[in-house]
Amino acid sequence: MTNFSWLVDGSIVGVYLLLTMIAGIMVRRYVGKVEHFLIAGREMNTYLGIASLAATEFGIVTCMYTAQNGYEHGFAGVTPGILQALAMFAVGVTGFCVKPLREAGVITIPELFQKKFGTRIRWAAGVVIVLGGLLNMGVFLRTGGEFLVLVTGFNIKYLEIAMTALLLLVAVYTILGGMLSVLITDYLQFVVMSAGLLVVTVLILINIGWEKLVSAVQIHQGAGGFNPFKNTTMGWPFVLFNLFVMTATVLTWQTTIARVLAAKDAKTGLKVYKGTAFFFVCRFLIPGLWGIAALAVLAPEQVGGNTLHAMPLMLRSMLPAGLIGLLVAAMLAADMSTDSSYMLTWGSVIYNDIMAPFRKTVWSEKKGLLWNRMIVALIGIFLLFYGLWYPLKGNLWNYLTITGTVYLASISVLLIACCYWKKANSWGAGAAIFFGALIPVTFLIIEQIPATEAFAKKIGPYYSGIATFLIAGAAMVIGSLIKPTPKTAAVEGGSNA
Amino acid sequence: MLKHWFWLALTVAVVFWYSTITVYVAWKGAKDIKNMLARLGGAKDSEAPK
Repeated sequence: MTNFSWLVDGSIVGVYLLLTMIAGIMVRRYVGKVEHFLIAGREMNTYLGIASLAATEFGIVTCMYTAQNGYEHGFAGVTPGILQALAMFAVGVTGFCVKPLREAGVITIPELFQKKFGTRIRWAAGVVIVLGGLLNMGVFLRTGGEFLVLVTGFNIKYLEIAMTALLLLVAVYTILGGMLSVLITDYLQFVVMSAGLLVVTVLILINIGWEKLVSAVQIHQGAGGFNPFKNTTMGWPFVLFNLFVMTATVLTWQTTIARVLAAKDAKTGLKVYKGTAFFFVCRFLIPGLWGIAALAVLAPEQVGGNTLHAMPLMLRSMLPAGLIGLLVAAMLAADMSTDSSYMLTWGSVIYNDIMAPFRKTVWSEKKGLLWNRMIVALIGIFLLFYGLWYPLKGNLWNYLTITGTVYLASISVLLIACCYWKKANSWGAGAAIFFGALIPVTFLIIEQIPATEAFAKKIGPYYSGIATFLIAGAAMVIGSLIKPTPKTAAVEGGSNA
Repeated sequence: MLKHWFWLALTVAVVFWYSTITVYVAWKGAKDIKNMLARLGGAKDSEAPK
């Protein structure tokens, strides 16, 4: 039974949506060039960058999988967040890869690769980035829709309508205003989302209490609920795989990197990284606590077989009218900021890198803007259909890390080699891209085929993921050493420049 | 309660840090938006045909 009230909660959500749409659409008049559309004319400053990065990297899907991690693994489920915060802070302090990337003045990572590895590698890198990114994002809509339907108590048959409506709203302001609209709405969404997350968390801590949360983890998971190395379903393979994934995410995830590239200079980009790093602990711990709260208050039969639904089922019965409205507005804010930014940044790679060979002459700004808008719209349509038919099996976080690995492994290897290894060449880059995509895609396919499902389970996502990173690295080294290194084009601003 | 002090300390730190940063970023971010739009507006005006 939900406490959602149409009058009170519906009004809160309605006002939030109206304000977001007005703000998002109003800034479209500042968009006159492709550079404005894709990277906000590189005018973003530190605090707007922090708000935007935090809002983008927290969607309903984040809330759902981190809560599922909390429900299934207890506090140990927060481990990826701690690893990501450490990686982001280290990169923010040292400028590792990110500084030369920003100083090169590129719009996307593959554009940087062209300088060292040539046009073909730029194109191939663009393809795997988009493939990994869109497969990853494909489950966002359905998961977001499930959360909203469960919390508000709507009939499940309205899930597709809710998904479509949400995507349409986001698509309208993203298509019109590009990165400028994304930044402005991200700011509003950061404020609303943070208020909702904090209020609900404090309420859970007061109503349920710390002792009860700790006891629930102790009873259900024992020592493994507090220490990932003692957890039978996690252990060192989980920690090592997540360390690889999180470091690669910080270095190459297009939505994260887009904030560095939109920053007014490299120093501002690094400040954004340092300022946002601890947010990634919050990003995992806050919904993780909500998942643990569901473990503490709900009986297993109330949750049913799907642990992903435990957290929204707990929230809808615990929160009073008014607070549910704030929660739904916060989650809509989280989801819209994520969807808009993801559509735009994957679109930027399609336009800037995959379509690059087809632009034989310089396109006018008007034509470039039109194409960018069409690409964002097409991504929206893809998401709608993919989100409707892809049957998610197993743990959501594992799905996201495996699909993300399609490009994280190879592109992070390419980026490091591009910035810091003089002998790296296109052979090594090509081999790294091929093996970096082949292993996770094969794993995803054999996981879906009944005949090979048991084999995929035996290997598990962690070993498959670790192997992808190691083999992509080895492929880069072996491939580069096989072919004698020609005189390479130096990366502007890189240490090998 | 103190047996799992690390997670308690981290939870307190998260609630405190996130509350503080939300207010601070909300305030400074609004200024960033104002400045960004002013710069973009200025650039657009200077590019407009006279």
